[in-house]
Amino acid sequence: MSQMKMSRRKFLITSATVAGGLSLQLVPIDSMAASESGKASGKSGSELSPWLTIHADDTVIVTVPTPEIGNGASTQQAMNIAEELECDWQYVKVEFASFSREYKQPGSYAVGLQPFFGGHSTDHDRMPYTMQLGASARERLKLAAAKRWDVPIAEIEARNSVLTHLPSGRKLRFGEVAAEAGSVELEAEPSLKPQSEWRLLGKTKPHKVQLPKVVNGSAEYGVDVTRPGMVYAALRQSPVHGGLLKSHDPEAVLSMPGVRAVVVIDPSATPGSPVDASPTFGFEGSECRSGVAVIADHYWQAKKALDALPMEWDDGLGAFWSSDEKIHERQDRVLERWAGVPLTKSGNVDAVKTAKTVEATYRTPFCEHATMEPLNGTALYTKDSLELWHSTQDMQQAFWVAVDESGIHPDHVTIHQTLVGGGFGRRVIGDDVRAVVAVARQYPDVPVKVMWSREETTQQGAYRTQLAARFRAGLNEQGMPESLEGETCFSGMALNLGFTDMAYAFSGAIPNVRLAASNLPMHIATGAYRAPCYNAHAFTVETFIDECAVAGGIDPLEYRLKLLADWDPAWSHCLKLAAERAGWGKPLPKGQGRGIAISNWPHSGEKQAGATVCAVAHVEVSQEGKLTVHSIDFTFDCGRTVNLDAVLAQLEGGIIFGLNMSLNEGLTIVDGAVVESNFDRYPMLKMADIPEINIHLEALSGHDRFAIIGEAPVGPIGPAIGNAIYQAIGKRVRSTPFRKQDLSWS
Amino acid sequence: MTTIKFTVNGQAQSLDIDPTTPLLWTLRDHLQMTGTKFGCGIGMCGACTVHLNGNATRSCLIPVQAVDGADIATIEGLSESGDHILQRLWVELNVPQCGYCQSGVLMAAADLLKRIPNPSDEEIDANISNICRCGTYPRIREGIRRAAQEMGA
Repeated sequence: MSQMKMSRRKFLITSATVAGGLSLQLVPIDSMAASESGKASGKSGSELSPWLTIHADDTVIVTVPTPEIGNGASTQQAMNIAEELECDWQYVKVEFASFSREYKQPGSYAVGLQPFFGGHSTDHDRMPYTMQLGASARERLKLAAAKRWDVPIAEIEARNSVLTHLPSGRKLRFGEVAAEAGSVELEAEPSLKPQSEWRLLGKTKPHKVQLPKVVNGSAEYGVDVTRPGMVYAALRQSPVHGGLLKSHDPEAVLSMPGVRAVVVIDPSATPGSPVDASPTFGFEGSECRSGVAVIADHYWQAKKALDALPMEWDDGLGAFWSSDEKIHERQDRVLERWAGVPLTKSGNVDAVKTAKTVEATYRTPFCEHATMEPLNGTALYTKDSLELWHSTQDMQQAFWVAVDESGIHPDHVTIHQTLVGGGFGRRVIGDDVRAVVAVARQYPDVPVKVMWSREETTQQGAYRTQLAARFRAGLNEQGMPESLEGETCFSGMALNLGFTDMAYAFSGAIPNVRLAASNLPMHIATGAYRAPCYNAHAFTVETFIDECAVAGGIDPLEYRLKLLADWDPAWSHCLKLAAERAGWGKPLPKGQGRGIAISNWPHSGEKQAGATVCAVAHVEVSQEGKLTVHSIDFTFDCGRTVNLDAVLAQLEGGIIFGLNMSLNEGLTIVDGAVVESNFDRYPMLKMADIPEINIHLEALSGHDRFAIIGEAPVGPIGPAIGNAIYQAIGKRVRSTPFRKQDLSWS
Repeated sequence: MTTIKFTVNGQAQSLDIDPTTPLLWTLRDHLQMTGTKFGCGIGMCGACTVHLNGNATRSCLIPVQAVDGADIATIEGLSESGDHILQRLWVELNVPQCGYCQSGVLMAAADLLKRIPNPSDEEIDANISNICRCGTYPRIREGIRRAAQEMGA
C-alpha cells in the first residue's frame, strides 16, 4: 500500500494491488489518522471497495457514490476519471458505492463525493476529486512502466489505455502493469491537466454508461430486485396525510390465496437510531404515515387482499381543508394583509408615488412527481441486521432513515443502490425507505418487497409546494417600475428560490423593492420537486413582469432588456437570441401569439452564476379555448458544458417537464385528501403533444463554470406560454395548470 | 389455481397460477422477467408493453388466462444480444434518461416499424402513446426515424 496526501483537500489517495490489478482509494485524512491511532470506530480502508480499479484485462471500474436518476451523473464522474487516467473510454465500467462506507470511514462523502442526487450536488464539487484519482492512477501506471523498462518516467506517455516509451516506441497496456502500479510510491501527486488539454471533457459526448442494459431489459431498478424466498407487500396509508388507521379486519383476508400476514404501520412505533444519526436533510418529512400492508407470496395476491381488506381511517385535522377554494381563500386572506416577513429589501417602497400601479396575484398548485417507477423498496430484517435494496436519490438519507426505523446498529445496516426510475426530488427524503423498513421489520428473516401502486404513489406524494404570490409595482411616466412589492404565501417547503432572489430585485433597475414570505401551514406532505419553488416563481415573477410591460406600453422583450441592462449580459444575450430565432415581432394572425420568459436556477440574484434560461413560446388558441403550443425557442447560459449531449438531454427533458407542469398538472384537494390517483386524471404529455423544440447554443457565454442544468429549464416554459396566450387572445392567465383555465374568446 | 401454457420469447412456459393474475405480474413475479415494467396498472402509460402474438399489447390489463396458448415476446427477447436496430440506436442517440419506460417504448416502436416500415410523424404520434416522464419524446422520434431510414436504405 502506498499513500499520498492530496494538498488542500484533506484526502489521502492510497493504492494497493488487488487481484492482479491496481486499486485506488480516497481516504479522508481524519479517518486515516483515527484509524491508525486505533481510537476510532472508522475501519481500515482496505476493508472497503476501492473507488477505482484497473484490472489486468484493462477494464477500469469506477465506483460512484451518485445515484443514477437518468441525468448521467454517474457517467459524468467516470468521464472525469477517464480524462486524467488517459484510458480508453470503452473499458470504463461504473459500479455504485455502498453508503456503509461513510459510516465505516467517516468523512468519505463529506466534501465533494456527496452520495446523493439532489440539492446542488452534481458535478462541480466532485470534479477535482475524481480527476485527481484518475491522474494518480495514470502516474502510478507510468512509474511502473518506467521501472520495468528502466527509463525516466518523463519519457512515457499514457494514452487510450496504452503506455508508450516515446524514444523507443515500446508499448505496454495499462493492464499489463496494473499489478506493479499498486505498489509503486509517487513522490508527489500529479497536478491536473490544464483544461486546454482535455480530450474527453467538453470534446466528446458519450452516452450514459448504463444504456446497453436499459435497452435489453436487464438494468435493475428498485422494483426489479429479486431475492431468494422474497415475499411481496401491498401498502395503503391514510388518504388524508396525518390521519390514522382507525380499524381494519385482517381476518377478512388472511385466508385468501398466498396471503401471509397483515401488518400495521404505526408512526409512533419507530425504534429510533441507536447512535447519533446524520441524514442529509434530517428526519422531518420521512416519518411513517399511518397505514396497513398485506404480505403475500406474489404482488397480485397482496394487492387483491389489500383491496378486499376492510379499513377505516380517522382523517384528523387535515379534513379541515374541504376544497381548493378554501385553501385559496385562506391564502388570499394572508396576502391581503401584506404582513409577511420581508426577506429582500432595498429603498423604501412606501415612499414612492408613481403614475400607475400594477397589482396581481398568481397561484400554482400541489403537483405530483409521477416518477415512472412507482415507490417501492426491498428489505431483509433480522433481529441484528438490515439489508435494503432501494432506488433512492440519496443514499446518506436512506441509510440513516433505515437505521432509525429498524433500530439496528449502523455497523449491521447495508444499502444496495439500484438504478432509479425517475427521481425529480421524490426519492430524497426517505419516507419510502421508512415505510419499507417498517413493514419488513414486522416480517423478519424473509426479504420483503414493498410496493406502492400507482394510486398509492400518487396520493402519498411529497408534493411540489402549493403557493400564491401577490405583486404590486409602481410605474413611472416612462412605464418602468420605481417600486416592486411581492409576497408569497406557501404551503410546504419554505425555499422561496426564484422569488426572494429574483434578478429584477438585484439588477439595480428598480430602486425600491420589498419581497416577503408568509406560510399557510397545511397537513399535506411536500418536498423537493424539480427546482423547488423556483418552478412556481418563474411563473409568478415572469407573468407579473409581462403585465408591467403591457401596463407600461412597452414590448415585453424590450422591457426585460431595460430591466436587465446593467445585469450579467448573458441574460440579455439569451433574451435577444431566443426572440430573434422565434421571429419575435413578426405579425401573427388573431388567436396566435408569442410570449417570452427568463429565469435562473439556482442563483437568480447573482451575476455569472447558475444556469440562465430563456424561452419564447408560439401558441395558438382556438375560439373554443383549445390551446396548442406550436414551438418553444430556448436559449441558455450555464457557462460551459463538459458533455454537450447530456446537457441537451436535460434541457429537452426539463422543457417537457415544464410544459407538463404548466399545461396539465395540479392536484385537487377534497376533504383533506388528494383526488387524483392515476394518469387518467393526472395526465401526462405524450408524443403527439410535444411542440417543436429549438434549443439554441449561441448564448452560452463560455464563462468558467459548469453550472447544473437539470432544473433550470423547467422554469420559463409556463410563463412564456402564458404570456403568449395573452398576446394571442388578450386573456391573462394567472394560475396553472392552463388546461383548467377558460381560454375561449370571440 | 389453473395451469396456463404459453411461450415467452420462444420458450414454452407452464404455470399453476391464479388465472386473473395480469400478464405483467406473471412475467415479473412468476417468471422473474423484470424487463417489462409496472407503471400505472390501468393501461395508460405503456411501460408494460409486450408483443402478444406479434402485436404490441399492454400486459398490465391482460389476465394470464387470456394468453393461454399464445406467443409472448418481451424486451428480453427483442433481439438475441441487444442489437435490434432500435436498441442500437437508443444507445447511440442517448435516448433513455432514467430508462424505466423505455422497454415499453422499444416494444411499441418495434411493432410500429414492423407494420409501417417508414412511418410519418402522425403515424409515430398515433402509435407511440407511451408516457415518458423524463421527456425523451424528441429522441424517441429521432430513433424511429433513423431506424426507418436505415432499414429502408
